[in-house]
Amino acid sequence: MALLLCAAAWTGAAWPGRATAAAPGRPAAASPEGKPAGTPAWRAEFDDVCGRTQDAMAIPSDELKRLVARADALLPAVERLEPTQRKVFLRRLQACRNLFQFVLDTREGA
Amino acid sequence: MRRIHLAAAALCALALVAFPARGMKLPIPHEYGRVVLDAGASRAGLPPVAFDHWRHRARFTCRLCHVDVGFAMAAGATQVTAAGNQAGFHCGACHDGKRRLWGQVIFAACAGTAPPAGGGACRRCHAQPDPARLEKEFAAFARELPRDRFGGVDWEKAEGTGKITPSDFLEGVSIRREPLKNRKEITLQSKGTWMSDVLFSHPKHAVWNGCEVCHPEIYPAAAGGARASMLAITGGESCGACHDKVAFPLVDCEKCHVKPVQ
Amino acid sequence: MVGPSRRMGGRLARRPRGTIMTRRLGALCALAVLAGIAADARGEGGAGKRRRPLPPEYGRVLLGEAGQGRMAPVAFDHWLHRARYTCRLCHVDIGFAMKAGATGIKPADNEAGYFCGACHDGKRTVDGRRIFEACGAGGERQACQRCHAVGLPVKPGTDFAAFARGLPRGRFGNGIDWEKAELDGQLKLVDELEGISIKRQSLTAQKDFALSPKLAGMPEIIFSHAKHTVWSGCEGCHPDIFVGVKRGATRYTMVEIFEGKYCGACHTSVAFPTLDCQRCHTRLVK
Repeated sequence: MALLLCAAAWTGAAWPGRATAAAPGRPAAASPEGKPAGTPAWRAEFDDVCGRTQDAMAIPSDELKRLVARADALLPAVERLEPTQRKVFLRRLQACRNLFQFVLDTREGA
Repeated sequence: MRRIHLAAAALCALALVAFPARGMKLPIPHEYGRVVLDAGASRAGLPPVAFDHWRHRARFTCRLCHVDVGFAMAAGATQVTAAGNQAGFHCGACHDGKRRLWGQVIFAACAGTAPPAGGGACRRCHAQPDPARLEKEFAAFARELPRDRFGGVDWEKAEGTGKITPSDFLEGVSIRREPLKNRKEITLQSKGTWMSDVLFSHPKHAVWNGCEVCHPEIYPAAAGGARASMLAITGGESCGACHDKVAFPLVDCEKCHVKPVQ
Repeated sequence: MVGPSRRMGGRLARRPRGTIMTRRLGALCALAVLAGIAADARGEGGAGKRRRPLPPEYGRVLLGEAGQGRMAPVAFDHWLHRARYTCRLCHVDIGFAMKAGATGIKPADNEAGYFCGACHDGKRTVDGRRIFEACGAGGERQACQRCHAVGLPVKPGTDFAAFARGLPRGRFGNGIDWEKAELDGQLKLVDELEGISIKRQSLTAQKDFALSPKLAGMPEIIFSHAKHTVWSGCEGCHPDIFVGVKRGATRYTMVEIFEGKYCGACHTSVAFPTLDCQRCHTRLVK
């Protein structure tokens, strides 16, 4: 129950920025490799989620909510990356997650 | 009454002589609007350039040089360099040895790699100004032009009566835009009860400046941004960016404080 | 002592001329004195008009700080890169911030193939030429000075005048109309980088819409999403620069824009500057 409430809170709130609290109780993504060669699981998931930003306006709202949730779920994995990758992918994940949330907010606000 | 007048006059004379304030100096017509440019001249062993505005402002609007060509409005701020001139920027936008204006080829600025011994062609600009010669040249230049109270040219009247037709376009540099029409005349209330209010006229200023000379750098806000004290103005802020350095001097109070005293 | 008009009892619509003149004289003198003191103290001051960056200088970002024993800062000029790549590629896919110093680039990052190193890895090619390696090459100072060149007599690799010659002229900024250059097909913008970018479909742009200015008489702004998404995609602006979710809800002021907010995030430093009013204020309201 607590897990569901936490997840709901995460999806509803705007991402507060770099200094984020650890997402509570979510299953951790697979450990990343240090180099970009090969496709670790987190990277595949990242590509899948953040590759949809171009269509954000055309994606139905519940799909958008799922994408936001998936982005949030990726956060712990990205936070565990080595410093350079963490710096890059935290930023990219933040941008794509916030865009989906933005489109959702636009629909609710309109 | 007489004693007060005498005291006031004496104080005035003292002030104007003892404090050569940029703000309130009585302008000498052929020197008024002079800017000394020394971003790199002294370092190259050349005298700084004494740029006199009067020659150029009869032919070009303020906007052409200060917006299209991109000169700043304070001595040394533009950082004009010989290399920049040779590349066709700043002075070199016109002074390239090729451009023709009014049938004449405009001499090239900073041609060559280094100044020749004794200055050579550089001395055309990089030289100490000769006051006697300048006075004669100015007199010849301004012979047909209307004058203001201090013997300088009344540029507003000169342009208004068609005596001068300053160009606002430089081929290869300027790009035409649809003009933004602003006929607004703004009353700026004078703080002192003995001074009449200022009537600021957009059309009169737009003739020389377009919009971009003043907006947004000097006046960023849409409304209420023009409030500046006379002290700030004499220091170069607000109206003082132009008036007093190049446009008519601030000592000419009634040119701006035109509305009748209530 | 009073002037004659006052003695004439009751006919005082205005102050006596004498008093006005005295006060004016006094004010003028006081101003002269104060201005003198102020001007001497202040020196050559006043807001005035600053130097406008020359066409090759516009869009320059200074990365790093000068200092004793440090590497010279990098003067990154946008014009060379924006002729080949979209803003989105660098600022979203590669992850550069849009403020000097905010990205936190380290040599190790470049060596690992991120940030500058995403392209400048000594392996990728452009126009058949190999792109030089950033922050590698055994750390030889000479190689570093290719970018870390502020204050050093390093000649730029590409001559701006030659570069700009064939491109459509624009007002202010780089003096290049980048929008027209892209529309006319003179620029073939790359929006994807192998190994960095995510393969994605092309964007369906939103419709243009009008923004009404506060100042009466200023033409309306026609904002075109299509024109912007060509360069920036969506994430470049939303939600970091444009947070508002309801159209018309956010009041954008020109002062904020000139200070670098909203449109000013790009249109004061890299994209055509806001000095060119009529570039945006295009539709005259009858």
